[in-house]
Amino acid sequence: MTTDTISKPAPTPITIKELNTENPRWCAGCGDFGIIMGLKRFIVERQLSPSQTVNVSGIGCSGRAPNYFNTYGVHSIHGRAIPIALGIALAQPGLNLFVHSGDGDALSIGGNHLIHGINKNFKCVFLMYDNEVYALTKNQTSPTTRHEHPTNTQPQGTFLNPLNPITLVLGLGASFVASTADWIPDHLTNTMKAAFDHPGFAFVHISQRCPHFDPNNFDHKNSSWFSFLKHPNGIEPDRRLAAKTETVEHDPSNLTQAFSYGAADRRYFGLFFQNKDKPRYDNILHNLVEKAPKKDPSKILDSYLI
Amino acid sequence: MSLEKRPVTRFELLMDAGYGAQKAGDILLGAFVGMGQYVYVEPMIPAEISPPARSRAALSGVIIRLADFDVTNIGNDTDLILAAHEVVLDRRLDDREFNANAKILLDMGDQEDNPESYEMVLKRCTKLSLSVIPFNVDAESRTLIKELGGKGQNLYYLGMLSFIYNMDEEIVKKEILKTFGKKLKEDIMAKNITLYHNGYQLAKEKVFFRVEVQCHERPGQQILIDGNTSMSLGLIDAGFKLFSGYPITPASSIMHTLAKNFPSYGGLVHQAEDEIAAIGAAVGSYYAGKPAVTATSGPGLSLKQEFIGFASAAEIPLVVIDVQRAGPSTGMPTKTEQSDLLAALCGSHGDYAKIILSVSNVIDCFYAPHLARYLAEKLRVPVFILSDFQTANSYKVVAKFKLAQMNGGVDDIPDFVFERFHMKRLAGPVQMVRTLQTVPGTEGGMRRITGLNTDEQGKINYFSDHHQRSHAVRNEKIHQVRRVLTLPEMFGKDTNEVLIVGWGSSRGAIEEAISLCEKNGVPASGMHLRVVYPLPLMLKDVFTKYKKVMTVEVAFGDPLKPSPLALLLRSETLTDVRPLVADATGRPLRPRIIMNKIQEALK
Repeated sequence: MTTDTISKPAPTPITIKELNTENPRWCAGCGDFGIIMGLKRFIVERQLSPSQTVNVSGIGCSGRAPNYFNTYGVHSIHGRAIPIALGIALAQPGLNLFVHSGDGDALSIGGNHLIHGINKNFKCVFLMYDNEVYALTKNQTSPTTRHEHPTNTQPQGTFLNPLNPITLVLGLGASFVASTADWIPDHLTNTMKAAFDHPGFAFVHISQRCPHFDPNNFDHKNSSWFSFLKHPNGIEPDRRLAAKTETVEHDPSNLTQAFSYGAADRRYFGLFFQNKDKPRYDNILHNLVEKAPKKDPSKILDSYLI
Repeated sequence: MSLEKRPVTRFELLMDAGYGAQKAGDILLGAFVGMGQYVYVEPMIPAEISPPARSRAALSGVIIRLADFDVTNIGNDTDLILAAHEVVLDRRLDDREFNANAKILLDMGDQEDNPESYEMVLKRCTKLSLSVIPFNVDAESRTLIKELGGKGQNLYYLGMLSFIYNMDEEIVKKEILKTFGKKLKEDIMAKNITLYHNGYQLAKEKVFFRVEVQCHERPGQQILIDGNTSMSLGLIDAGFKLFSGYPITPASSIMHTLAKNFPSYGGLVHQAEDEIAAIGAAVGSYYAGKPAVTATSGPGLSLKQEFIGFASAAEIPLVVIDVQRAGPSTGMPTKTEQSDLLAALCGSHGDYAKIILSVSNVIDCFYAPHLARYLAEKLRVPVFILSDFQTANSYKVVAKFKLAQMNGGVDDIPDFVFERFHMKRLAGPVQMVRTLQTVPGTEGGMRRITGLNTDEQGKINYFSDHHQRSHAVRNEKIHQVRRVLTLPEMFGKDTNEVLIVGWGSSRGAIEEAISLCEKNGVPASGMHLRVVYPLPLMLKDVFTKYKKVMTVEVAFGDPLKPSPLALLLRSETLTDVRPLVADATGRPLRPRIIMNKIQEALK
């Protein structure tokens, strides 16, 4: 492999500025700005080495995210960020791995990979940017578009009820399920912390505004429509907004309760569920190699001798 | 009793699937090899696990070509068929792969229940002037087979064949013990051995001929190996560290072999959720610095195409093995074909860079991974290894391969690998679309890759000059290979009336066809390509030395539509290349048919 040696700069603290690349090509007011800022704040807070950090994405507005982090990154193809991320995790287990995926990318074209990423439970933070619409392709119905909301492909109003990402991934046996929103920065960063510390596939659902195609998807000026989940093992409710809305106690080891919050009409932000003991596929494969009896590569053909 | 001495002969055992015809073939193979004979084995496998017995779909068997010289292909026609009943025989006669004087040993055990069907097939044999030797399994053996739930019949037939092919009973028994020893209980094993012995005795009493092929002492260490196993071991020796695949016939056995062995050599086997995920993990692994490979067959290749283009655009090394089967669509999963050439060449959208290697035998299978890894990492492009059902499943005895143990960088690749593929080491540095090609974890080397067009710095760029530049840089990588390709392997005179050209698994049949032509005064030469894309620059000049250039392919073509290789050669050389053999029957090429078609073409 080519591993170019780069002159090594003296270790200096990582700052937001150093993590920036170019001005993102997103619309003004796009929720994606908030999401990548939340992740950058987390990287700075933890002082994660940009050389050891990889952002992986598929296609769509969210797909562009890795380009805006001065870390390693793969802006791959539509729906396929998870396989790439798994390949990276298998090749270099120690890297900080963040996967960025939109609602169409994660639940539609990449749905199969989400099922198996969750089941394999390999170590990564999976950020699902949910703006409830296909935006980069200009306003088509996505798997999470609200029923009857008109789009370019279903101008009569979206035909079906949206998929529920929270109950979907809970049902798949996800070991970490949290929900947050792009406009509550403290909660967003706290969620990233909890997700990053989780030993497995950490699914983070992020409600994301799309002022260009659906200015009404989330009312970010009003907090009465959502609640925070709170628990000593959970995620701290947002300091600024907690006072303005309801906070409920929820033990993230309680799967049944997690399902009922996830299925409710009301939206809940916080940690729905966590299981730190779910086996990890990446560890299983690495252990297999570690424990396999070593064989002499110069005798590879010997058992085929006649 | 007549004893025929032959330099080469071919026979086949036909049974219902699930009754151990291939197992019997494996035992025979081991015994022949132990006796110092050269063999080439082709299993005939239905695509289903256990189709209904006594149906045409149930045909499962093994074809063995036995010679006193090294054989490179399954040959022309069969001299002897042993069939378990009339239905599998009838089905196999459809393929018209028997000699005019072929002998048929037909088990009459099912005749009582199916008199009309037997009569019909026997009539068919008479019409074809095939001599049928009917036989019945003796009463003791019938009881034993019943006790074994029908399972021991293959051993009975094995016994018959052992007698006919003048084999040492003890050597064969040793092979039986080697094959079943650990798996069967003692009493069951004893029954099987009795069945073997009874079969041998039956042939001794009822069959009035034996065939003998001369034995040879072979110098040096020899191995017995099939194509997919050889490819798996080649991947390990070439230093790959991740195999990522999804089950698909006939590529799966590569994953099986690696699943057993790879961890002991530091390699991971990842069974992905689908074909796309399989190639995606390989891309991710190679991006993160660990050599990775994915293997598939036609349908899987179609699914992987988007990632292949991505790897080319994002400049991530990638190796894709395609064990071809008969297409289009699901086609015939257990039959051979060479019709994925164009899917590899043009299957992903846009103009993407790629190299296509092919394998013609078990030796190529071992070394193709080394060359593929070298080219993939030097050029940072996808490299295909095209194999096929025939190459993947055929067994052969070869001298033990010299290992390369490429665990360091790709520059460790030995020169003989380049020579085998008729090329030289790449000359000079390779320019990339992006200057920086660091691997995650490299301090200070942070970079983003994308399928979008970028400039030298790796920044997304939609400007006309930059996009044109990216194309030119990617294509120049391929031209660098083009320039180091040497004259492909040639058979026969270097100027002639006809030149036949083939690639991949057609090599053995081409070599033998040209040698047949020379013996029969047919003015033809042959060319075989291991690197199928790019093609060497001298090809056009070579073609001018022959009056006719024609391809030999296991892929469909007709007078209005050139077969894939013909199409490629026409477009690359502006020579009027036409398909000579463009048969997509699922059956391997036959040297004599190639010669006959050359003779027709010369008329």
